[in-house]
Amino acid sequence: MAVPLLETRNLSIRFGGLVAVSRVDLSLAAGETLCIIGPNGAGKSTLFNLISGIYRQSSGTVRLDGRDITGWPAHRIAAAGIARTFQSSRLFGDLTLVDNVVIGMHCRTRTGVIDALLRPRRARAEFEAAAERAGELLRLVSPGLYERRHTLAGTLPQADRRRLEIARALASDPKIIMLDEPSSGMDDRDTDALIEDIRLTMAERPGLAYIIIEHDMRLVAALPERVVVIDYGEKIAEGHFSEVRLMPRVQEAYLGQKAAHA
Amino acid sequence: MMAEPPRIALSARHTSAADVAVVAAAELGGALLLGLFLLADDSRFIVALLVLLGAGFAALQIRPAIEERIVAAFRNARFTALGLGSAIVLAYPFAMQGSSYALHLLVVAQLYAVLALALNFQLGSANIPNFATGASYGIGAYTSALLAIDFGVSFWLTLPIAAVVATAFGFLLGFPSMRTRETYLALVTIAFGIVVHQLLNNFDWTGGPNGLVGIPAPTILGHSFAAPIELFGARLPSQANFYYLAAALVALAIVSARRLHDSRVGLAWNALRAHELAARCQGINVVWYKMLAFAVDAFLAAFAGSVYAAYVSYISPDNFTFLVSVTIMTMVIVGGMDNTLGVILGAFLLTLLPEKLRIFADYRLLFVSVVVILFLILRPQGLFPQRPRSYGGR
Ligand SMILES: Nc1ncnc2c1ncn2[C@@H]1O[C@H](COP(=O)(O)OP(=O)(O)OP(=O)(O)O)[C@@H](O)[C@H]1O
Ligand SMILES: [Mg+2]
Repeated sequence: MAVPLLETRNLSIRFGGLVAVSRVDLSLAAGETLCIIGPNGAGKSTLFNLISGIYRQSSGTVRLDGRDITGWPAHRIAAAGIARTFQSSRLFGDLTLVDNVVIGMHCRTRTGVIDALLRPRRARAEFEAAAERAGELLRLVSPGLYERRHTLAGTLPQADRRRLEIARALASDPKIIMLDEPSSGMDDRDTDALIEDIRLTMAERPGLAYIIIEHDMRLVAALPERVVVIDYGEKIAEGHFSEVRLMPRVQEAYLGQKAAHA
Repeated sequence: MMAEPPRIALSARHTSAADVAVVAAAELGGALLLGLFLLADDSRFIVALLVLLGAGFAALQIRPAIEERIVAAFRNARFTALGLGSAIVLAYPFAMQGSSYALHLLVVAQLYAVLALALNFQLGSANIPNFATGASYGIGAYTSALLAIDFGVSFWLTLPIAAVVATAFGFLLGFPSMRTRETYLALVTIAFGIVVHQLLNNFDWTGGPNGLVGIPAPTILGHSFAAPIELFGARLPSQANFYYLAAALVALAIVSARRLHDSRVGLAWNALRAHELAARCQGINVVWYKMLAFAVDAFLAAFAGSVYAAYVSYISPDNFTFLVSVTIMTMVIVGGMDNTLGVILGAFLLTLLPEKLRIFADYRLLFVSVVVILFLILRPQGLFPQRPRSYGGR
């Protein structure tokens, strides 16, 4: 098989005595969708933070397209083609929706201070073109967002904040997009709409790979081809959702916890 | 709204007579208010003008529609606004009844407007508290003055050199932003300002505490800036030379501010202001953009410093203290972060208030603070708060 698009080997991080992610191996091909599930505090978000360069690994490697990107700063990893959303959405609340998405295009645009000052036409043209594309992206993700594109992001309801974050992540033309619990804080109807939105963008960009952390089992059943289960920082199972959910170890870790929560 | 035509149609704006009227009323009204304030002697009249200004802002606060209407008018009648505004600025010295004091105040206010616009790149756009704008201002002034006195370099040549020197220092100052977080960065800038002040005070070649004397006035086509302007039978005091120079500098600062604000760079600054971690994940090199903000701030501040040195012909370290930096910061906050007009207004207000309230003698500063606090109560986000960016002529 060809080199995987994304590959982590032995990825681990310790916070003091706590091993939050422990020797995780992941592999993702272009265009593939991978879902990560696991109980609260299992280390899923931490894994994202490792891959996107927010945390520095204690050991292990991350490769993108065969290139070692371990320990790169977050902005370089973003530029290399890994975009993400956050579990608690992190928008630029005092800027408009268009601004938010145009910022997502930062590494696909070029204007620097000198250009902005001395070549205003060129800078302006790039800026307007970016805004134009941002509008299209917003329309693709949700026509409702497009209508409100000149309002401030901070005024959006929860479900729309998630959509905007996805649009912003798509704006960088990434190779991989990582969604951290995209359905959290959404009711069933919003979740169904979200699943449709994600399907739509998948159809729109066939080469784009997804890693999705998710608690909502309907979304997990509906979208991904492959599921990885994390518990106490370790990968305990991997496979198709229909198989994985029957594994005793997963039921113990995951569903057992669900029952305890109920 | 639903069947919206493509952007091209949006950008074709048509100017209506009402727009022109609103623009003319706003610009002439503003100019008149400023003129009355500058030339007023009677303290009761000054207080009345301030009350009028306060009432105006109260009206804006209560009825945001008024502000929207004015902004829309300026957008639609952009060329009228620009033409009339330039005409007012050019003609203004002639309306000052030959008062060199009024012109002096205008020069200083405009230089502070440039400084406040410089700081706005950091404080307003990127939310980096920088207490060293006064130091960059001083570095510009000293570089320019030393070159002129010791090496006889023409003022026009010292302008860019001073700016480059200050920018280099700006980068140097921005360097710690690699490691330190916001609060500590603020402390670093305070320390930088104090170090610069101390060095200027202690070096021999900067004239120590006595400063530099006899900085030559610029000349242009044989006309010395120290001489009065005689034009169309009118005679303007020599301050008018620097009035026009400072006005050109303000224009340069406004153009730079607008161009940077409506560009990828301005957006990156806004992003790291709103959410630094999210900004990093969009591929923004946060450290680099912070350093850039320091550099741009220093560049513009140095221009103001050069002009100031040539204008007063005598500078000393005490012109560039920590207090100056704090004043500039207050101007940005009172005027409105990340709003060009607001920042300029803040600079004018905070330069002119202490001067015009001299009648209150010992209570002057107390009175200034009260006025500033009242304005902040009226307009908590600043006189003209930040506005959403507009695209495609919207
Ligand atoms: N910066 C940090 N410092 C110390 N401990 C941390 C840090 N970040 C995460 N942890 C710990 O690592 C463990 C994994 O956290 P993580 O947020 O990755 O869980 P999660 O699987 O995303 O859970 P959830 O489903 O609740 O989002 C938790 O015990 C958490 O307290
Ligand atoms: Mg999490």
